[in-house]
Amino acid sequence: MLATLAQAVVNGLLIGGIYALVSIGVTLIFGVVKIVNFAQGEFVMIGMYISFFLASTFGVDPLLSLLISMPSLFAIGVLLQHFLIRRVLALGDMPQIFLTFALSLLLMNIALLLFTANYRTVQTPYSELTFHIGPVYFAVAKLIAFAIAMLLSALLYLFLHGTDLGKAMRAAAQNREVAMLMGINPDRVFCVAVGVALALAGAAGSLLMPFYPAYPLVGQIFVLMAFVAVVLGTLGNITGALIASLMMGVAESLGVQFVGADSGLIVVFVMLLLTLAFRPNGLFGGWAR
Amino acid sequence: MTLIWTTRPWFWIVVLAAVALVLPLVVSNPFAVDIFIRVLLFAFIGVAWNLMGGYAKQLSLGHAAYFGLGAYTSTILLIRFGISPWIGIIAGGVVAMLASLPIGALCFRLRGPYFAIATIATAQVLMLLFLKFRDFAWGAEGTTLPNLGDAPLMMQFDSKAAYYYLALALLALGLAITYRIERSWMGFYLVAVGEDEDAAEAVGVDTTKIKRHIYLISAFLTALGGTFYIQYIYFIDPNTAFSFNISVEAALVSIVGGIGTLWGPVVGTILLEATSALLQSWFGSGHGGVQLTVYSLILVSVILWRPSGLVGVFSDLYRRFTYAGAARSKEVPLDG
Repeated sequence: MLATLAQAVVNGLLIGGIYALVSIGVTLIFGVVKIVNFAQGEFVMIGMYISFFLASTFGVDPLLSLLISMPSLFAIGVLLQHFLIRRVLALGDMPQIFLTFALSLLLMNIALLLFTANYRTVQTPYSELTFHIGPVYFAVAKLIAFAIAMLLSALLYLFLHGTDLGKAMRAAAQNREVAMLMGINPDRVFCVAVGVALALAGAAGSLLMPFYPAYPLVGQIFVLMAFVAVVLGTLGNITGALIASLMMGVAESLGVQFVGADSGLIVVFVMLLLTLAFRPNGLFGGWAR
Repeated sequence: MTLIWTTRPWFWIVVLAAVALVLPLVVSNPFAVDIFIRVLLFAFIGVAWNLMGGYAKQLSLGHAAYFGLGAYTSTILLIRFGISPWIGIIAGGVVAMLASLPIGALCFRLRGPYFAIATIATAQVLMLLFLKFRDFAWGAEGTTLPNLGDAPLMMQFDSKAAYYYLALALLALGLAITYRIERSWMGFYLVAVGEDEDAAEAVGVDTTKIKRHIYLISAFLTALGGTFYIQYIYFIDPNTAFSFNISVEAALVSIVGGIGTLWGPVVGTILLEATSALLQSWFGSGHGGVQLTVYSLILVSVILWRPSGLVGVFSDLYRRFTYAGAARSKEVPLDG
């Protein structure tokens, strides 16, 4: 019983690391640009397909393809912000929500047309590898993914706190007008924020590839998790999103283990609705300090 | 020179109603009538969504919750208790209204995009629950409705035209309700909430109450559409009744047509369904991605170039067409 519990917690934490990359991206864009990116999951999907095709055509290891998927998605993010999101920033809720929502539908369905609905997997030497500490088993691929996810989150933290650009980003998030008065160019900061967020989604995709199939609708599950984590972790709070994502991973895994195989999502949604009922501002306050 | 009565809006409404009424008598191709029924149904659901999403700008992406509750209520009453769907359709509406109260209480705490996400979650939770209710709601397999032949008292008809007129009646009901609300105090309150919720609150509008009321009406109407749809296709399962596509379509037709306008959802549905029918005849129904790819391209274009929706384009054309002299049409302010 205790071993089952420990196993469920470990599995949850490991996948929670991937959720964290997605939700940090969502909360970063929300914090800085004040837009909810409904298409974030589709960028995970794109990251997965990049890794899949690099692996299947050139035999590149998915972990190595991080070096390609992250910069490509950064570039896509900059273009997305510059050509699309920027144009709706002055408009109301409706265009802001439905622009990225339409983008999500578009990317999903283009992927469906181009790649069909088939599941694509990549076999790596470590895909099936496991080791155990006591009765608890660790899948090597998931552990590597988790470790790199945490590393990337730490790097983002250092970037936001240690570099001028990162500080400018936090300043723009706190107060756009005052930041502009201090000589910060919001357009540039916004482009970088969206770029970084998408690069994280791309990283999530590449890290998933050794143990998770790619298919056109794969992003949906990750973006739903990310939304719940972002609400739970307080909108715009990066540390909050990270902790909440790990909690969600564990909650989902416990749900699957103890309620039933198809109950993971119910547990997650119930968590969201309970949060809304009792702590509508999330568990953590404010923008990450 | 245009005749004076062609400038009156009621004249065009009478023409439109006349065309709508004779359409199934002229067109007998079942494929075409099927498309007309879809247009009427989704225009109706769009109208129901628009009351809340358009006027009060509460952008729900979870209206499938009410569509599904309406569908399941009438189907359970029909199959388990033999109660006519004519009673079931009202019962479904009432169930949806009751469900909208706790859902609204939770979701109205959030604004804008997070309201939309919370509504997605509620519809998904309902779908997952109905997947689990194997005993009285048939679980994931769903069920077919008993075919009673031509039984108008049980809302089953042999002719597609009957379904057409029923859907037309629903749409007329939705439009009439919207028309009344638009011209009432409630309409002004709703627009005030939609424009700026805090300002509306500051001038004494009870925003929570007004949102709750419009959500009740919107949920009720959406549920009617759910019962109708299931009676029309004779089959129900959670993935059909609580389909995310229903929520999306309800919002999409309103946005493309023009949110917060009486005719927006109708214009949007005609455009999108016509596109969808054309695509099907070109590509066949095998290519799953084509339709939604085109829908989302239309949506992006509308948002970037005409966020107030296409109904405005038509009313501009209408003015240019009806008012003699371009100079006069320039004095008429564009409505949004």
